Amino acid sequence: MHPLLRAVCLGLLAALPVACTQKSKTVRIAVSVPLTGDVGTEGQGVRRAVELAVEEANKSGRFPFPLEARAFDDRADPKEAVSAANLVASDPNIVAVIGHYNSGCSIPAAQVYARSGIPMISPASTNPKLTSQQLEESWVLPKTVFRVVPTDDVQGSFAGDFIFDKLNMRKIAVIHDKTPYGQGLAEQFKDRFSGRGGQITSFDGIAMGDRDFKALLTRIKADKPQGVYFGGLYMEAALLMRQAQELGFKTTFFSGDGSKTNELIKVAGKASEGAYLSITGIPVEHLASAKPFLEKYNEKYPGVDVKPFDHFAYEATNIVLDALTKVGPDRAKVLEELRRTRFEGILGVTEFDDKGDTKNKIITMTQVKNGEFAIVN
Amino acid sequence: MLVFLQQLFNGLVLGSIYSLIALGYTLVYGILMMINFAHSEFLMIGAFMGLGASSLCLNWGLGWPGVVIVFFAAMLGAGLLGVITERLAYRPLRHAMRLAPLISAIGVSIMLSNAVFLWVSNQSLPFPAILPERSLTIGPVAAGSLQLLIFATALLLMIVLHLMVQKTKIGKAMRACADDTATAGLMGINADRIIAFTFLVGGALAGAAGVLNGMYYGSIKYNLGFLPGVKAFTAAVLGGIGNITGAVLGGFLLGLLEVAAAGYIPNGSQWKDVVAFVVLIGVLLIRPSGILGERVAEKV
Repeated sequence: MHPLLRAVCLGLLAALPVACTQKSKTVRIAVSVPLTGDVGTEGQGVRRAVELAVEEANKSGRFPFPLEARAFDDRADPKEAVSAANLVASDPNIVAVIGHYNSGCSIPAAQVYARSGIPMISPASTNPKLTSQQLEESWVLPKTVFRVVPTDDVQGSFAGDFIFDKLNMRKIAVIHDKTPYGQGLAEQFKDRFSGRGGQITSFDGIAMGDRDFKALLTRIKADKPQGVYFGGLYMEAALLMRQAQELGFKTTFFSGDGSKTNELIKVAGKASEGAYLSITGIPVEHLASAKPFLEKYNEKYPGVDVKPFDHFAYEATNIVLDALTKVGPDRAKVLEELRRTRFEGILGVTEFDDKGDTKNKIITMTQVKNGEFAIVN
Repeated sequence: MLVFLQQLFNGLVLGSIYSLIALGYTLVYGILMMINFAHSEFLMIGAFMGLGASSLCLNWGLGWPGVVIVFFAAMLGAGLLGVITERLAYRPLRHAMRLAPLISAIGVSIMLSNAVFLWVSNQSLPFPAILPERSLTIGPVAAGSLQLLIFATALLLMIVLHLMVQKTKIGKAMRACADDTATAGLMGINADRIIAFTFLVGGALAGAAGVLNGMYYGSIKYNLGFLPGVKAFTAAVLGGIGNITGAVLGGFLLGLLEVAAAGYIPNGSQWKDVVAFVVLIGVLLIRPSGILGERVAEKV
């Protein structure tokens, strides 16, 4: 072979892999949420919202590389969450994670992401510890956690004030499900409500997976509280409401965003009527800025209900995409960019404080009226 | 006192569901000396059969007749599943070492719950209410119509089972097989048929319990059988496994214990399982054969 020809051939060969990787290098955004199990419906909503945002970004042509959303199932189980996080960390093409859903999953998974320097934005976990653990002395890893939802201290306190001021109730019984989310919310509520001068008649935990709360409710009923505040998820909330009704325990139920889903009304039926549920932010259907999002969502997923955290997930994804446009697909640079982000989207302006929490803290109170959630504040 | 009566009633209703499930464990153990770990899945399958039948009955607007159809469908479905399971997974292993059918049972259990997980639903499904629910008060006790239905159905099924085992020919054959399968065979009893029949009955009871469970809690899920299954197994052991009266007694005792723990110990609702199982261990330390159990020495 002629030396020149050979040189050209070798040169081409050498250039080939470079060309290939540049062309096909897909940048990924991970979605780590429960895709199966009881809160699987909520997680699927988050996944759909992230996929929608990524699809739009691909269509817009503003990125020189293809983007992909890759979903990981944590089954709402902390152990699964950590193993999902390890999978995410081992994929160098992933630049950021949207997730997790449950605080109990987010808190341990955050350590894995921090170790690998992957930025994580939770669209739904509200336990304060998720971001505050990064300020502890034992935390020697980089700070990589952000969230776009207000925390339980904001939500629990809000409910405490609401019940004390607006409903004028003074005696409340508190139940929680012992998870970081449920117990955290219940404790924040308890502190605020008793701090205001209200009386907490009892404070009980229930075992996850337990389905019979009659004995507990019978005991609580004897204290004659004006209301029952429950920190936990919809299935236990629905069972509590049903069983209280069967016991002839006429009381008002209160709970947080983890219980506010249509499944609650389906399972609890009439027993859920009149219950109050606080949620983070403003319901998507009442957000003028979210109209285009809803239209696109319904177009891409016809006949599918928008779940309570979908617009948070959509916003979180767009925050990541915004950072990607500015600094390109590099974990460390994206992380830097997120720290100083100021993003104007469907939730209004999102900026993160030094813990990584959003400075945009709005809580809305809803009440079940005629089988639907109505806004009451 | 008011609270006490209410708690007593709560405990009896819970206990009646446990008893019903415990009977299935005890019937099979009585004859085969084998713990049927797939029993909790018969319960779950029964609940799903009941869900299907309930939806149909609701569409057709059937009230009380609908309830009968739902129970019939669930009991038949779960009972036949019991027979099939025995034929395919247990009978071939009947003369194998003792652990083999046990492992086979665990396998069947995992297979069934995963089949429902993958093919039916991996989430909780709301269980439709066929009958409008009414709150009744009997003296100081608030009793939902559903609670009364559960209690009555469970009692009725237990009485029917008792009469069947004690008064009918096939019941006599079951007792003979439980005493000594080989000798019963020599007396002209077809042991295979009796064992299959036992699985039919046990499965049917589990199916009924599954429907009661679904009606009571308003939702069902692929793994709903596990916890009541473990508890009912415990109840069967507490009462003396292999003994029918013992299973009923153990079920009620466990239900009452749990309610007492949740109702009377401060913050007891998270400790009730611990309390119930501590009592179980205590009873077994004093009476290793359970409260009414006999002949355990030769069985184990």
